Amino acid sequence: MTSALPVRLTEGPFAAATQGLAKRFGRDFALLGVDLQVPEGAVYVLVGPNGAGKTTTLKLLLGLYTPDAGDVRVLGLDPRTQGPLVRAQVGYVPERGDWGYGYMTVGRLLEHHAAYFPRWDWQYAHRLAGAFNVGLDRRVGRLSKGVTRRVHLILAMAHRPPLLLLDEPTDGLDPVMRDETLGMLAGHVAETGCTVVISTHLVHEVDRLADHLGVMRDGRLTAQMPREVLHHNLRRYRAEVPVDWNGAPRLNGTVIRRGGVGREIQWSVWGDEREVARLLAESGATVRDAAPLTLEDAAVALLSRKD
Amino acid sequence: MQLAIDTADARPIETQIVDEVRRALALGALEPGTPLPPVRTMAAELRVNPGAVARAYQVLQEQGVVEMRWGHGPVVARPSGASEDRAALAKRVAERALREARRHGVTPRELAEALRLAAASERPAERSEHASEPVRTPGNPSSRD
Repeated sequence: MTSALPVRLTEGPFAAATQGLAKRFGRDFALLGVDLQVPEGAVYVLVGPNGAGKTTTLKLLLGLYTPDAGDVRVLGLDPRTQGPLVRAQVGYVPERGDWGYGYMTVGRLLEHHAAYFPRWDWQYAHRLAGAFNVGLDRRVGRLSKGVTRRVHLILAMAHRPPLLLLDEPTDGLDPVMRDETLGMLAGHVAETGCTVVISTHLVHEVDRLADHLGVMRDGRLTAQMPREVLHHNLRRYRAEVPVDWNGAPRLNGTVIRRGGVGREIQWSVWGDEREVARLLAESGATVRDAAPLTLEDAAVALLSRKD
Repeated sequence: MQLAIDTADARPIETQIVDEVRRALALGALEPGTPLPPVRTMAAELRVNPGAVARAYQVLQEQGVVEMRWGHGPVVARPSGASEDRAALAKRVAERALREARRHGVTPRELAEALRLAAASERPAERSEHASEPVRTPGNPSSRD
């Protein structure tokens, strides 16, 4: 039985793609051969624990870091040699919001930022500021974490770039503001058709927007796939097993997560549902149920996979 | 218009949108000629991926539930509250209950019996909370009083 989780996408063209991307900081490898593929128009959620390499990946896409190995293409450009051109077409919300512009008012910062983007839309910037409840006369250095995040989102969205790279965009937002931000983002995507990459360790916060999922662990992209592929191939099987059950060796490599109580097992298994159910039945188990997982449960299962 | 989308529900978001629209139709909450919001508005309201809304509208159009009007959102086409819609709604609820039963090792017969007993012991106040019209349960003694 095929065991490998999908790591390559078949749909193209890609708004952003890397091949064998590696990055080292001193002796530590932050990325070890990442093949990221973000289809045009996708809302791609890159999930992984802190330190998995998500932020490093985004910075490599922007040309803010230079890779030690591998290739990067963003909107048909090479960020290593065409960094400024890439950054002019990307809306970026960095993980940390500490600019050196603390002395400016928000309005002044927007003006400063707008000067770099020919397609900056002031009307839209004001609409976003209104919706995000950000006062333009406030001083940037005195903003709370949540408001800083919203200012970053305005800066990223107001020039309607074809690609948004959002590093933990909902971090620091209260639940109501997070909800409204996701609404603005959904409307923005529908209006502009832009591609979005969202890095997060909290999948449930962006669950509704995602149509692609990439799973990062320890500097590697261990899986990436469209949401419907995940929905169809990862199922949680409940089955009753005999007392002296020897497991299902033919499922080795496809069981993402094992659980259960006593004689009832609850396994999350990757593969065709009928095939998995058949192999479970052959092993002596009585399958009661095969249920699809929510995106969050699926992400947790993939992240906690024991290899 | 605010549909209920639940991320704790493993059904794909487009399926949830389709089911919610059909449910509103079956209950008479949506009348023929009622416009649904354009994809952009619906996506922003529900905070969901616009692609999911577009796919849901496509499915609803194929099912004849809505008609697409150029430059606008879809418009509800079919008369609402039709009996086959209620039957379809009941069937979907039943299928979900059956799945849940199987998961718990309960047989369909046991489930049907438990449902009969539960409906019989339901207090009138609870019944009126759940449905605008009385729940008709053949063979249920309390439905006669």
